[in-house]
Amino acid sequence: MTSAPLAPPVPAREAAAPALGRRPPARRRRERPTGLRISRIVSRVLIAAVLVMQVYPFLWLLQTSLRDREDFAAANPFSIPTQLTLDNFSRAFEQGHLLRSILNSLIITGGACLLLVVCGMAGAYAIAVLGFRFSGLVRGLFLLGIVVPVQVALVPLFIDYSRIGMLDTHLSVMIPLAGFALPMALYLFLSFYSYIPRELYEAATLDGAGPYRIFARITLPMSWNTVVTVVMVNAIFIWNDFVFANTFILSEELKTIPLGLQDYVGAMGNTDWTATFAAVSITVTPLLLVFLVLNRAMIYGLESGASKG
Amino acid sequence: MLPHRSRLSVLVFLAPPLLLFGGGVLLPIVQSLVLSFFEWDGITGLDFVGLENYRALLLHDDVFRTAFGNQLVYLVICLLLQVGGGLLVATLLMTITRGREVLKVLYLMPAVISTPAIALLFQRIYSFEPEGLVNTLLGAVGLDALARPWLSDVSTVLTAVSVPEGWRFLGLYTVILYAALLSVPRELEEAASLDGANAWQVFARIRFPHIMPVFVTTLIMATTYALRGFDIPFLLTNGGPGQASELVTTYMYKTAFTSGHYGSASAISVIIVLECLVAVGLILLVLRRKAD
Repeated sequence: MTSAPLAPPVPAREAAAPALGRRPPARRRRERPTGLRISRIVSRVLIAAVLVMQVYPFLWLLQTSLRDREDFAAANPFSIPTQLTLDNFSRAFEQGHLLRSILNSLIITGGACLLLVVCGMAGAYAIAVLGFRFSGLVRGLFLLGIVVPVQVALVPLFIDYSRIGMLDTHLSVMIPLAGFALPMALYLFLSFYSYIPRELYEAATLDGAGPYRIFARITLPMSWNTVVTVVMVNAIFIWNDFVFANTFILSEELKTIPLGLQDYVGAMGNTDWTATFAAVSITVTPLLLVFLVLNRAMIYGLESGASKG
Repeated sequence: MLPHRSRLSVLVFLAPPLLLFGGGVLLPIVQSLVLSFFEWDGITGLDFVGLENYRALLLHDDVFRTAFGNQLVYLVICLLLQVGGGLLVATLLMTITRGREVLKVLYLMPAVISTPAIALLFQRIYSFEPEGLVNTLLGAVGLDALARPWLSDVSTVLTAVSVPEGWRFLGLYTVILYAALLSVPRELEEAASLDGANAWQVFARIRFPHIMPVFVTTLIMATTYALRGFDIPFLLTNGGPGQASELVTTYMYKTAFTSGHYGSASAISVIIVLECLVAVGLILLVLRRKAD
């Protein structure tokens, strides 16, 4: 099931198309094309409507960020701007700390993804390849993490961090982000490791390789595709995290992009919408571009995550 | 199982994930559970109160009760948009031949945007003065009478804060359910339609039963995500006006970080966990039984 979505499924949909017609084909042969056409038109209109719903808000955001401030205040929000300006972007950079928050987001996302990949890989290797007596129990323990909502960790972690002086650090946000993403990552690695043939390990063992060498020479080099999938799926959620950063980060200097955006409204009041939308565009665009280029890995991860879960 | 593994090597590989998961997830869960039996303002000593926090919340706290009801409405709207909408759109995608891969990617776009950005966007979409997208659209089709400040009207605010969350992940569930629909054997569908089954029958008798396991998973995902939904309502209205859009999660956040009642907040977070477990149990119980 997981490999199906990767191969673009184009083959003759025409053959199954009569199934979509309203009537049994045998009896009313002549009406079939009409019913078919109507249901096709309806489904295409619906598909287009959903497309507009999902994409238009983003296009609107972009065009607003390019629009003159006065023009935006006066005009119908649906109208196309008469002239474009980059003014909003310079104001967005002046009044906020965009670059600083981008840097903070990069540090936290990079650190959390590294933690996640290292721990996911090591855990899956211990469970699936090395094996030990209570591996089933450990597996179940991690499964728990998929269902548990993140809110339950907020208060205790806040208290623990303030006790050991870790509040308001990059690491304080990385740990829960990686921790809550770990179960899913672990399962992706586990399912991939179950495909590596045992003979490979047996041969390596006969050649005298121990568990560390086998990990470094066989398992790790074969894992890169799964690493990309795990990073793609989680990087977006970690990059966009609001609740942990909002709770554990207190100082201005450490604010991530989602927090920085929230401040924009406060700092400028609700009047400077075009500059705010320029800031939103700046923070959203790089992520969207990465997504548009690398979406296969992400979509694959989402699909296989769901069918394994 | 590798023949030459040592106990030490298992420990070396198992220690980092257990430390991360233990410190970041398991320990806090246990601490929440313990803390929920105490009263604590974060400064003075802990006061053991037993089940008092739970009793007060469930029996005497009107805000909690409102928040609970609101969270259920939020859940229903999210499920309708995400699982219902996702299934519909995935089925529609099956009817076209070209552009499905591109559409999948474009549908997923909102899932990439951070919640504060979405909140800013929707604040403007819902706004009344200056006229936002929704009100302009209503005016354009002659329904001016329905125009209103969606986020400050008590009767619409809960729906208004729920819709963005549903909208955001519609594409995600579409992609997952679409992958499942693709795995339905084509021969079964063809045989059914040759036997005179209409589109609805093919869907209800063949496709849907076949994708049931994935459907159950998406239902569980969407339900648990909706029960912990927090960001967008918190950012858009912070529960207001009054308690009209207060969710259990936003109430928990306020109880902890605004009022400083850590014990009571922990009790709420334990209740959120229980809600999720009960919901998952119910889904499995009802749908598994149906599948048998």
